[in-house]
Amino acid sequence: MLTKDNLRGWGANVDEGMARCLNNEAFYLKLVNKGIQDPAFGKLQAACESGDLDGAFDAAHCLKGVMANLALTPILQPVEKITELLRKRTAMDYGPLLAEIDGARASLVALIEG
Amino acid sequence: MAERKQMNSIPDMNAEGRERQVLIVEDDFVNREMLKANLENGYEILCAETGEEALAMIHEHSGTLSLVLLDLNLPGMNGLDLLQEIKKDMDLSRIPVIVLTSDTESEVKSLNAGANGFIPKPYPRQEVMLARILRCIELSENRDLIRWTERDHLTGLYNREYFYRYAEQYDARHRDEPTDALVLDVSHFRLINERFGKAYGDEILRRIGAELFAIVRENGGIACRREADTFQVYCPHQEDYEPMAGRVAAAACGDSIGRIRIRIGVYSCVDKSGEMERRFDRAKSAADTIRHSFTESVAYYNEELRKKEMDAMRLMDDFQAAIQQKQFVVYFQPKYNIQAEEPVLCGAEALIRWKHPELGMISPGVFVPLFEGNGLVRELDNYVWREAAAQIRRWKDRLGCSVPVSVNVSRIDMLDPDLADTFCQLIRENRLEFGDLHLEITESAYTQDAEQIISIVAGLREQGFRIEMDDFGSGYSSLNMIIKLPIDLLKLDMGFIRHAFSADGDTGILKIMLDIARYLSVPMIAEGVETKEQMLTLKELGCDIVQGYYFSKPVPAEEFEQFFKEEAKEHADKG
Repeated sequence: MLTKDNLRGWGANVDEGMARCLNNEAFYLKLVNKGIQDPAFGKLQAACESGDLDGAFDAAHCLKGVMANLALTPILQPVEKITELLRKRTAMDYGPLLAEIDGARASLVALIEG
Repeated sequence: MAERKQMNSIPDMNAEGRERQVLIVEDDFVNREMLKANLENGYEILCAETGEEALAMIHEHSGTLSLVLLDLNLPGMNGLDLLQEIKKDMDLSRIPVIVLTSDTESEVKSLNAGANGFIPKPYPRQEVMLARILRCIELSENRDLIRWTERDHLTGLYNREYFYRYAEQYDARHRDEPTDALVLDVSHFRLINERFGKAYGDEILRRIGAELFAIVRENGGIACRREADTFQVYCPHQEDYEPMAGRVAAAACGDSIGRIRIRIGVYSCVDKSGEMERRFDRAKSAADTIRHSFTESVAYYNEELRKKEMDAMRLMDDFQAAIQQKQFVVYFQPKYNIQAEEPVLCGAEALIRWKHPELGMISPGVFVPLFEGNGLVRELDNYVWREAAAQIRRWKDRLGCSVPVSVNVSRIDMLDPDLADTFCQLIRENRLEFGDLHLEITESAYTQDAEQIISIVAGLREQGFRIEMDDFGSGYSSLNMIIKLPIDLLKLDMGFIRHAFSADGDTGILKIMLDIARYLSVPMIAEGVETKEQMLTLKELGCDIVQGYYFSKPVPAEEFEQFFKEEAKEHADKG
């Protein structure tokens, strides 16, 4: 079960995220639950795989905003990296960065489900 | 707790005491809910997830919405497109928009599209967001208050006074750019109002205002409603304004059946050393030249118009001196009764001429319309009445005879409450009979405020004056109204004579007009009679009195004495 403390232990900047949620813990955790299911994760993956760099940038940009607002630092860091690369439409293999995002996300999901 | 106190201390009501309404346009659930939670204690929150949904809500709540918080990355219509839609619509453009972005590149694009501010992602502290939002709303509300004083309330465009101030500012920013002054109006707008009602007329004006707003937004410049159905635009120079006339006319029509015509007067590449208001007076002069045209939509101020204006100004400047120095001379044109075996002198019409010391003889056709336009015609008419009355007295004294003299009474004179007293005084001072002075009132004077004019004319008749209706047939009087008119004589409009005796004319309409005079039991005068043939035809048709070059052009008083002498000789010969 997700709590403020285990989220902090996972690496989130809980104080910052909580402040944006009026220090309402239940509300913050509810938004984290929603954020981790954001459809932009799937869109980013699919767009990168199909070479649609415009679509990939839009999805990454969107995810960056959500992860930053929730202060989910372990996911935010690779999302920021991929956003900046996609902004320049850099032709490269995005697999490792996507894997990093996916790994951080999976660890948070495990925390929630655990 | 500290934060809650902070929120409660924020004045979150609008001027009407209602909670201010804020629309959050954000497709992402987390961002939207977070923002909503931060604001909902101080504002009434509306939410939209797509650009299309947001635009519909903005239209629906345009009167009450205090702010739009806009994410740029939206499915369908994106945030930037939505922002442009809002800012190009005159009603919506007053609503401030704060863009939610984490991207400096987007900030520049948003500012260019009219964004009023930014909130970055990740969101800053609640106090920062609230302060930024409140500041933006207050600035916009203050701007609304200023707008209220500087705007025309029907169309939302600038009013005339502020328009000139903004036009000066526009000049300061576009010092070396060629600029045009335009005056636009709706052809026969009064008829549209009368036919379809004022509410429809107002709707037309609103549509024109919205279209002009869109045009100046696209092309640069500023627009205002000058008055009634007249608009002004000050904008970068263009070669051709026909497309603008067509575009505004199409917008004015909307979906309605029928056609609305827009006229545009253009003062092209204005002389920026001249006064701002004069620039638009010039554009208006140009527009007035196509007032009666059904084919032209655009007219340009040119050298010919400029000369006409300068001449008009000169005549207006010279008017007072002309009155004082008696440069205006009254001429008299004889009228003959043609129903006797030989024509008999039976009256005269007093007609004004201007012997200008530098410009020579000026036709009344040049200066009378000018003085009618600025009200000086009252003074001019009074001058003619005094001169005519004094001349009748002189004839009576010198020759022992006279004829009734008709003087013109302009429509504006009819509104003078002292009109009857003025004429009575002239009669007294010159020891005349009421029948010595006939008052010619043009038919068109009766068509506006008919009841009031009829009552004034009836009063003059009761005093003993004889009333002639001038230009009969040109003023669109209804037959029903003519029956009620208190008149002693009908003076047929010169156009009927011209038509009847033109190459393809016929006298049928003359017969009808004469029948009307007979039905009303009043004599008919025909003016503009130039030939014996015309005179004989009119005599045969039963016209009583004739005036025109066939007998004599208008002549000075001394020359007119010749007609008295001829008349006396005729009598003596017969006797």
